[in-house]
Amino acid sequence: MSTTWNSIPVPRPLQQLFDSVPLVTYDANALPTRAQSNTLCQLPTLYVFASERDARLGLPSYNPSCLKWQTFLKLAGVEFRIVPSTNHASPTGALPFLLPVRTSPTTTAAAAASSAPIPASRLQRYALDHGSRPPPPNAKTLRLDAYQALLDVPIRNAWLHTLYLEPENSPLLEKLYVTWASSSGWVQGTIRHQLGRAAEGEILKTSSSLSAAGAGELDEDAVYSAARDALNALASLLAESETGWFFSATAPTLFDASVFAYTHLMLQVLSEADGEDAARLGVLVGQAGSGELRSHQQRIYQMLWPSQIWSEGESQADKTQ
Amino acid sequence: MPDSMLIDSGPQLNDQLLTPAAISKVEVLGAKNTRRSLLDHIFKPLVDKSNTDATIGQLLERINHASAKLQRFDIFREEGYGVFISGANNGQPSDKTEIDVSFRVREKSRLVFKAGTDFGNAEGSAYTNAEVRNVFGGAESLSVNASTGTRTRSAYNAVFSTPVNGNPDLRLAVEALRSSTQKPWASHEEQLAGGNLRLAWATKHAESHSLSYSGIWRQLTGLAPGASPTVRADAGDSLKSSITHTFTRDRRDRAVLPQEGYLLRTMSELAGWGPLQGDVSFYKSEVEVAGAMPAFPSGLANGIPVTVGGGLRLGMLVPLARGFSFTGPAQPSRINDRFQLGGPTDVRGFKLGGLGPHDGGDAVGGDVFAAGGVNMLLPLPRTGPASPLRIQLFANGGRLVALKNQSKATEVSSESLGMDSRTVVNGLKSAVWELANGLPSLAAGVGLVYAHPVARFELNFSLPIVQRVGEQGRKGLQVGVGINFL
Repeated sequence: MSTTWNSIPVPRPLQQLFDSVPLVTYDANALPTRAQSNTLCQLPTLYVFASERDARLGLPSYNPSCLKWQTFLKLAGVEFRIVPSTNHASPTGALPFLLPVRTSPTTTAAAAASSAPIPASRLQRYALDHGSRPPPPNAKTLRLDAYQALLDVPIRNAWLHTLYLEPENSPLLEKLYVTWASSSGWVQGTIRHQLGRAAEGEILKTSSSLSAAGAGELDEDAVYSAARDALNALASLLAESETGWFFSATAPTLFDASVFAYTHLMLQVLSEADGEDAARLGVLVGQAGSGELRSHQQRIYQMLWPSQIWSEGESQADKTQ
Repeated sequence: MPDSMLIDSGPQLNDQLLTPAAISKVEVLGAKNTRRSLLDHIFKPLVDKSNTDATIGQLLERINHASAKLQRFDIFREEGYGVFISGANNGQPSDKTEIDVSFRVREKSRLVFKAGTDFGNAEGSAYTNAEVRNVFGGAESLSVNASTGTRTRSAYNAVFSTPVNGNPDLRLAVEALRSSTQKPWASHEEQLAGGNLRLAWATKHAESHSLSYSGIWRQLTGLAPGASPTVRADAGDSLKSSITHTFTRDRRDRAVLPQEGYLLRTMSELAGWGPLQGDVSFYKSEVEVAGAMPAFPSGLANGIPVTVGGGLRLGMLVPLARGFSFTGPAQPSRINDRFQLGGPTDVRGFKLGGLGPHDGGDAVGGDVFAAGGVNMLLPLPRTGPASPLRIQLFANGGRLVALKNQSKATEVSSESLGMDSRTVVNGLKSAVWELANGLPSLAAGVGLVYAHPVARFELNFSLPIVQRVGEQGRKGLQVGVGINFL
C-alpha cells in the first residue's frame, strides 16, 4: 500500500531536493521477448480473431464482426496490420478494436494515453479520417435500416447456429475458437460450454419463432428459413443496383462490408466443413436470387485480397461444380 | 506452551532418574472427538517393548516429546492441558519402578468462525473464515475463506489438511481456490481458478519444506483503457500446471523486527515440462537471504539495541520447451509468470512494480532479477529495547531484466515466437550480464518502523538515486505494511 499527499503543496527546498534526484538516469530497460513484436511495428494494429498464420499474411478474419471492420478499413485504404487476439484484450469486451501507432516511443503514461484503443463503434470515423480513399457514406434511408436488420437478426442467428450449435461444425468451432485459447481440456471444455450457451442465448433473444418448438427451445428450421428469406431479399436488392454495390453506391460502402463479412465466411469457412448441415448456409448464399451475393463476395475478395485468388480459385471452382 | 505442562513428579523421582522404569499405563482424558488411531501414533512408542531397559529420566524425556507432539496437532487448548505421572499401583511386585501417565486435555471447539482484517504484503483485506477442526477425529482440518481487499477484489478458497501417519510435522493439504485480483501497475485484472495438493514437513531447527502440485487457470482480463500492447498481447487464458518446492530456514529472533539471526528461503517451480502439460512451460527459481545483528555487540551503545540488517533476493525464469524436449522451441514468458520488483516491502523508494521493463505506464516484469538492501534500526529516544518502535535508515536497490531474443530482426517476421534452447541460453546470459551493467536502480531514505505482532508498519521518506528511464521511483513519503520486508 502506498499513499500520496498530492494535495499538500511541496515546500520549495524539498521541491529542489526532489528535482535533483535521481542523480543518475540510465536508458530504459529492454522489453521482454513476447512484447518486442508488438511494440516495434509502425502500423496501427487491428485486434481480431484470426490464426497466427492468417494474421501474419493479413488474410480475412473468421469472425463476422472482425471481418466487417477489416474489410471496411481495407476498402477505405487504411494501412494497418492485424494481430490475433481475444475478447479479454478489448476495452469493450469484444473484438475488433484498433490500437493506433504510439506517437512517441518513450515509456510515459501520457504517451500511452494518447494512443488509446479505438473500439468498433468509432472505427468508421477513424477510417474516414485516416483512409486514403474514404468510401461513400452509407445511404441514410429507412431502407438501409431495414436491410441492416436482416443482417443483424436472421443472418446472424443462422451463422451463430451453424457455427456454435451445429454438431457437424464442432471440429470447426474447436479450431477457430477453442483450441486456440488453451491446450487444457478443462479450459477448453469450459470455453466450449460458454460459447454454446452464449450463442443460444443470443438467438433466443432475437428469435420470434419460439412458439413452434415451445418456449426456450430453438426452432432450427425457422432459423434457417428466416436466413434464406433474408439472403434472398439482399440478393434482389443487389439485383436492383446499377453499380453492383448495394444502394447503387459508386463504390462499396460499410453495408457492402457488412454483407461480405457474412457471405464470405458462409461460402469460404463453412466450405471447409464436412456434411450437408454444416455447409448449408453456404449453399443458401449461393442460391440466393440468381447468384448476386456470390458474385458480390467474389468482387470484394478480388479487390482486397488479389494475391489470394489464384491459389484458392481452383479449389473454389471444384466445389461449385 | 511448556509453561502449561505440569509434571507431577514425586521427590523420589528426582533422585532416581537413573533407576530402571517402565510405563504400565497411558491414559488420555478429555479427547472425546479424537480417534484412537491418532493417539496410538503418539503413545504406542511410550509403551513399546523397546522401552524395557529405560530409566526414569529417559521415560520422562519421551513423555515430554510425546506431549509436545500432541500439542502440535493444534486441536487441544493450552489451558487445562496437563501431564500427570504417578507410581503404578497394580499390586504386582517388580524390579522396576512402574509408572502411570495421564494426559489431561481439553479439545478446542470444532467449529470456528472468524471475521476480521488482514495485512499481507502491500495489501489490506477483510475476510471471513470458517474452520472445522479435527474433522474426522484425526486432527484433520477444513478451512473455508472468503475475502475482499484493496487489490484482491474477491478470493475464495477451501483447504482440507491432514497429518500423515499421525505425524503433526508432516501434513498433506488439498486446496481449491478462486480469486480476482487487480494489478494496476500493469493495467489488468487477473482471475484465478484452480487447486493444489501440498505436502509440507517441518524439520528440527526451524526449517520447513513444502512440495506442491498446482493446476491454475489464469485469465488476464478487464484491461484498463491505456493498457499497453504488451499487456494486451498476454490477455486471455492460460493454464499453469506446475510443481513447486519451497524451503525456509528462519533463525531470526523475531520475524517482524529481527535483532539477530538469519532467514534463508528458496523457491523452485517447474511448469509445463514433461507430463505437466498446460499452456506455459518454464523453470523458475528464487532465493532470499536476510539477516540482522546487533551493531555494537560489546555494548558500546550502552545497551541501546542498535541493529544492522541486510537482505538479498535473486530470481530467474528459464523458458522451457513443452513436453519432454530439451531443445524444442520454448515460448517466451508471459506477464503473469514474470517477476515484478519494487514497492514499499521490497525495493523501497519505488512504486509497486516500479523497477524493470515498462511498456508505456505498465510494469511488464522481467525474467531475471537481483535486489538487495541494508538497513540500520535505531531506538527512539527514551524508549527501551522492548519498544516496538524504531527509526530506520536504509538503502536498497535492484535490477529486473527481461530476456531478450537476440535474433530479433528476423523474429518479428518469422513463424512464431518460439526460441530454441541456444537462443534461450544466450538470452539468459546477456540478461544476467545486463544485471551488472551500470549501477543498480537505487533508493535511500529514513523512516519509522512499528512492529505490531501481526505485521510490520513502515513510514519512510525516500529518494531514488539511480533509476532507468520508465522506472517509477517514489520521491517522498511511502507507507509499507507487510510481514516480509527486504
